[in-house]
Amino acid sequence: MKRKVFTIASAASLIGLMFCAEGALAAKSGGVLKAYHRGTPPSGSIHEEATNSTVSPYMGVFNNLIMYRQDVAKESIDTIIPDLAKSWSWNGDGTKLTFKLRQGVKWHDGKPFTSKDVKCTWDLVQGKGKAKLRKNPRKSWYKNLDSVTTNGDFEATFNLKRKQPAFPALLAGGYSPVYPCHVSPKKMRTHPIGTGPFKFVSLKQNEHVKFTKNQNYWKKDRPYLDGVEWTIIKSRATRVLAFIAGKFDMTFNVDVTVPLMKEVNSQAPDAICEMVTTNVSTNLIVNQFKPPFDNAQVRKAMVLAIDRKAFIDIISEGKNIQGGAMMPPPNGVWGMPPEFLKNVAGFNPDIAGNRAQARKIMEGLGYGPNNRLKVKVSTRNIAIYRDPAVILIDHMKEIYMDATLDTVETSNWHAKVARKDYMVGLNLTGIGVDDPDAGLYENYSCGSQRNYTGYCKPEMEKLFEQQSMMTDQVARKKLVWEIDKKLQEDAARPIIYHGLGATCFQPYVHGFVTHVNSVYNNWRLEDVWLDK
Amino acid sequence: MVDIDHQAELVKAGAHITGRWSKVRHYARRYPLGAIGAVIMIIFVFSAVFADVLAPNDPLQTLASASLHAPGADFMLGADMMGRDMLSRIIHGARISLTVGVASILLGGSIGVFIGLMSGYLLGWFDLLMQRLIDIMQALPLLVLALVMAASLGPSLENTIIAISIPLVPNVARVVRSSTLSLREMPFVEAARAAGMSELRVALRHVLPNILAPLIVLFTAQLGAAILVEASLSFLGLGVPEPHPSWGRMLSESAAEYMRVAPWLVVFPGLAISLAVFGTNLFGDALRDILDPRQRN
Amino acid sequence: MGTYIVKRFLLMLLTLIGISIIIFVLLRLMPGNIADIMFDSAGFVDPAEKAQIEKELGLDLPIPVQYFHWVRGLLVWDLGFSYVSEMPAVDELGPRIPITAKLAGLALFFSVLFGLPLGVISAVKQDTALDYIMRVVSLSGLSLPSFWLALLILMFFVSTFGTIPIYMDPPDNLWDELVLYSIPAAAVGFRSSALIMRLTRSSMLEVMRQDYIRTARSKGASENSINYRHALKNAVLPVTTIIGIEAAFLIGGLIITETVFNIPGVAHFLVEAILMRDYPIVQNLVMLIAVVTVVINFAVDLLYAVLDPRIKYAE
Repeated sequence: MKRKVFTIASAASLIGLMFCAEGALAAKSGGVLKAYHRGTPPSGSIHEEATNSTVSPYMGVFNNLIMYRQDVAKESIDTIIPDLAKSWSWNGDGTKLTFKLRQGVKWHDGKPFTSKDVKCTWDLVQGKGKAKLRKNPRKSWYKNLDSVTTNGDFEATFNLKRKQPAFPALLAGGYSPVYPCHVSPKKMRTHPIGTGPFKFVSLKQNEHVKFTKNQNYWKKDRPYLDGVEWTIIKSRATRVLAFIAGKFDMTFNVDVTVPLMKEVNSQAPDAICEMVTTNVSTNLIVNQFKPPFDNAQVRKAMVLAIDRKAFIDIISEGKNIQGGAMMPPPNGVWGMPPEFLKNVAGFNPDIAGNRAQARKIMEGLGYGPNNRLKVKVSTRNIAIYRDPAVILIDHMKEIYMDATLDTVETSNWHAKVARKDYMVGLNLTGIGVDDPDAGLYENYSCGSQRNYTGYCKPEMEKLFEQQSMMTDQVARKKLVWEIDKKLQEDAARPIIYHGLGATCFQPYVHGFVTHVNSVYNNWRLEDVWLDK
Repeated sequence: MVDIDHQAELVKAGAHITGRWSKVRHYARRYPLGAIGAVIMIIFVFSAVFADVLAPNDPLQTLASASLHAPGADFMLGADMMGRDMLSRIIHGARISLTVGVASILLGGSIGVFIGLMSGYLLGWFDLLMQRLIDIMQALPLLVLALVMAASLGPSLENTIIAISIPLVPNVARVVRSSTLSLREMPFVEAARAAGMSELRVALRHVLPNILAPLIVLFTAQLGAAILVEASLSFLGLGVPEPHPSWGRMLSESAAEYMRVAPWLVVFPGLAISLAVFGTNLFGDALRDILDPRQRN
Repeated sequence: MGTYIVKRFLLMLLTLIGISIIIFVLLRLMPGNIADIMFDSAGFVDPAEKAQIEKELGLDLPIPVQYFHWVRGLLVWDLGFSYVSEMPAVDELGPRIPITAKLAGLALFFSVLFGLPLGVISAVKQDTALDYIMRVVSLSGLSLPSFWLALLILMFFVSTFGTIPIYMDPPDNLWDELVLYSIPAAAVGFRSSALIMRLTRSSMLEVMRQDYIRTARSKGASENSINYRHALKNAVLPVTTIIGIEAAFLIGGLIITETVFNIPGVAHFLVEAILMRDYPIVQNLVMLIAVVTVVINFAVDLLYAVLDPRIKYAE
């Protein structure tokens, strides 16, 4: 099963490389890329959002200081290239990261880009500046950032509190654009101004969001496209049919599920679909502060009842993959490999044995066929959440747990989670950049806003910091595996599977590469061109 | 002038028929469409009541190997994405639809009857106030009202019932009020009042039985409407939540997504809704003709 | 008559005020508000930041004060801002209203086009096979869930014609627009045409039993002239009422149809706005729907008075 995924992924990167080679030879300018979007983007301000709905369409409006190569499918610290920064360097003890900036770059409104904008952006993200973001989802990424200082108009230095060799990984993601100093956060939400290849034109709720070519883009001969238009279609059934009917050049970011891809392949055989790992995991948030799951034994029994393979077979026809907090190899850089994962409690493939053990635990606690534990599984009222929750409930039946499903509207979910008003929640977690400094801190570190379960262990904090300071990437990987194993065995947030999704495009779309370990970082679209 | 054959009219109306079964037979012959409707409704109610016995499988049982299984020997109507048996889910879905329909009738009906009786009987400021309330409820299309209600109350079986019952209130209240108004002038009601019965008792004892016929007609129509509105709300994600096998929910999202690889996910629940509503409508039409000869045809 | 109109008008105002209060309160009873929705896309809730947003939008004020602000705004045609797009609600609603109006108009046109003649035929041919078939068809129109019908239509189009009749870009001219809307309009108009057909049939039958028709028949007037000259003319009155009411009620059917066909009208927008807790959009839109419904009812009543002199407005 894992091999199959690997084949798909490597085929994807191969296709990507082919396009790239081809693109260098014969790229044509012109044409507007038409794609569909799954719903109205919550705003145009990437720093205020943590969703694909904003990053995918708006990434092309901006530039970062540095970014991941758009044409390499697997992101790592080695695929980072300059963007608004021409070059970067560390000081001796690895606490100062200095960027030399590109000159002559202009914002979409004609004002020049300088190092002040860099400082402003990270002051904003750290909540230091006069202007304030309405919401600030990635504070935890910059816990270790002390300040940004400038030296003249074209040099900026990030001063860290301690050594953090992977810090550039955070800056290279789609979530780290540079904002202009002179534009208010409100304007950035409704009409963002960037330096990127595409200018924002208009957003109409439930209808479209449109971008046009930035004629004065600093990168010569880019972008190839005259513009990008996203048509918003909420019903997945309708939008995929529309793609099949040839109304779109491209689908939304990994919008096509495994069963749907079969349909696309049979109905629109020319379309190219790349099924990739998304670095979005489906997991359980377990409330350890309230009965019944305040009892470690009950938690353990539940984890043992889960048949991960059944989940994966149902949801993705066997294509999703098992893993821990970090996305597993081959596509993930930091996840536990299969031979390591086998020995992590709860990942043993002997489901009958696991469940027998779980029943024994439950019997020990006084439960049995005639005295069943009543449980509530909360999840969001969205199919990708609801479907696995229904399977979970079915699995819980096996160990004397009768669960009911509590579907929660979008408007209540995070408030409910924050109140700890749930027993077990079924949750999806997307990781912006495939690096432990993002994933571990965001989801498992004390006090992080997105650490929903409130998991907080001083000894784990120490380990997080220890791996973050390591320069030797091989040793760091080993440590991260150990950390991940502990997280899984603590049932801090048991991971059920890592998901896959496909982005499909028509054969005349070139120069777009689907990334295999993040869905947030490959939407600059400046190299995409249409051969119509 | 056209002669009216009184005897024939009486026979047509079934006046000569005495036994219960022969009455049924008579009506079935007289209203063949209504009879078909009655059969559909009986099947519908029967599957709702005996779902546990009739359904071949547990409607919540997921099975990886059966995901999107085509209709066949194992799964007569196929299986959904989670490998749940569609036939069992449709049979259990009848229970949800019937529960929502009947409960909304009981709830909306009793509120409507109360308001209608009281305002037709008390008149005065109470009536004026209630009439405005009814105007307000009628000024908003049923689905809009149900939508806002469902969103306010949150998706659950109980809240869906409440949301669907509210739009019924003004219809019932109107009918009851106007019947009450015309009945209160009738001699036997006057007599009852003269005999010293309290207003409320008069209303309950005499007025209510006399308006049962139009109410039954209204309730049958509501049953069909409730099934449709529940399905629509579920389709928009605001109705009865998973894992309850609601017909509308079965049609929404994932079923629609897979409608081309697995058309049975779309076809069968849709047929179930249509048939159930069709049956109640046919039956309701006939019932109206029988109970309310003034509106015949 | 004059006093009747004034009285009806005042009652209409009262109804609208009642609706405005109910909708305002219902909205605020909904669990969660826009601040919660905003944080959803950020993946967490920060109580301080959330409170700040609520303050910014005036959601921290007592409900009566918020209501007062809204009504004061309405009186000077200030509908407020959409919470989602931060654009004026007028600009959000304005361009969407004509889309829904055209769709509803077209649907109504279809339903009268089919409903009225079929209803007459069905009544004239009462109890024949044709009548039964048409009654069954019309009842099925009332029984098919509109979203199911819409899905089947989409499925049919994609597999037969390889294209999908959904809204993508604003149409270039009126003709394109009508073509684009005709399929969804037919899907939603099916139900109304069934309703109109049934009503036409029953009021035709009612009229045909009346004494004057019997008289006309006994005087030897031809069947056709009886059916169409006398009966239809009189049967049209209640049908007019239902057409008027149906026009307003079409919005309910359009909610589903616009959603499935992805048409950016107000009905689809309403669902989205409810889900997003975009109060200014929902409350103004519901008021708009209410005003349209109430005014149409009012107009139908007046029309009735004009068409049927037997109705007196003494009350």
